Amino acid sequence: MSECIPMKITILDGNSRAENSIYDDCLEELTESLIASTHTVATLQLRNMDIHYCTGCFGCWVKTPGECALNDDSSDLCREYINSDLVLFASPVIMGFPSALLKKAQEKLICLILPYFELVKNELHHYEVHHSSRYDRYPLIGLLLEKGNDTDSEDIKIISDIYMRLAINFKTSFIFTRILERPVEEIVHEINSI
Amino acid sequence: MRLTVFNCSPRGKTSNTRILLEHFSDGFTTTNGNSCEIAYLNPSKSDDELVRIFQKAEHVLLAFPLYTDAMPGRVKAFIESLEHLCGAPNNPKLAFLLQSGLPEAHHSRYLERYLEKLAQRLGCVYTGTIVKGGIEGIQKKPSLMNRKTLQSFRELGINFGKTGMFDERLMARLANPEKLSVLQPVLSSLWWFMVKEKSGLNGLYWNIQLKKNGSFEKRFARPYTG
Repeated sequence: MSECIPMKITILDGNSRAENSIYDDCLEELTESLIASTHTVATLQLRNMDIHYCTGCFGCWVKTPGECALNDDSSDLCREYINSDLVLFASPVIMGFPSALLKKAQEKLICLILPYFELVKNELHHYEVHHSSRYDRYPLIGLLLEKGNDTDSEDIKIISDIYMRLAINFKTSFIFTRILERPVEEIVHEINSI
Repeated sequence: MRLTVFNCSPRGKTSNTRILLEHFSDGFTTTNGNSCEIAYLNPSKSDDELVRIFQKAEHVLLAFPLYTDAMPGRVKAFIESLEHLCGAPNNPKLAFLLQSGLPEAHHSRYLERYLEKLAQRLGCVYTGTIVKGGIEGIQKKPSLMNRKTLQSFRELGINFGKTGMFDERLMARLANPEKLSVLQPVLSSLWWFMVKEKSGLNGLYWNIQLKKNGSFEKRFARPYTG
């Protein structure tokens, strides 16, 4: 086994269908392989968490800064996220995009950044407006997608480009999009190479 | 023409999206015979009822803000509830209104690609996506500062009401700024200048709310790390 730097990895599992055992088994196999590679892995199975939709109330910015004003499990989500080295957004692709379950959890992460705007230089050295950092350090992010029957390469590109934008807003780098399927060793190898 | 608008903003009837839609639909209904129905996702009827409204529509406009670079989660759930309509006969023509708090339209162009493909996936004729940045705080800005934007939405609605299409020139004007120009940070509006920094006169939009809530001293709180 090649040496790698052990990381704290959090998997945000956006599969809402407990009957999708192929997905669940594949994710479990990936988790076991990552642990065998000396990483610490926490999987948040979002369908078993009580996470409310973001209502756009801005409570996390102006009432209870840094925390969602709604009393739900998003505090656990945010705590795991910000204390990770790598976060993997995992989901089946449904209607061309990750699940509503994953998206619901994703937007609760907004409390991890500040409301204030700043200018960020993009890859073309042009300035863009983005929100400022609340924390000193943010985890790398990657995508694990299970293709649906109607998912094509254009869908994967569109999704990946959107998550690359998310990475900018969440002060990090987007490292990969991988299709969640066997064998999982290729995904493990790529993570071990970070 | 019969237009069915879905206000998909998580803020529902208090949303900035509602204000933009009011002006758009006001323009749309200036053409005789045009009608406009508005359905809300929040608070919403059941998904089944929303899907029925969608199925019966002639022209649909789905309107929502950009949330973490994509559609709000509740909107994605609604999109998923439409899955069984993919390729169904007589699906409505489909348009989108995508607004964001960040000033540049550029932030929304990535999701726009998804939305265009969504229409194709459903088998709907794609009318287009209206993109507008800088909308956060529109209800708190003096009306003079909003006048041009809201007038543009009304004009877009008038044109759509007559043609069934979005005028490209109007869309481009509305989307401005597409990206920041070199001088934009210097010549930007007073409003943008007031929100961009963390303290003092800058950041005023957020700091007023923080102080009102007694949370100003905690504004940089980091509750999830040691």
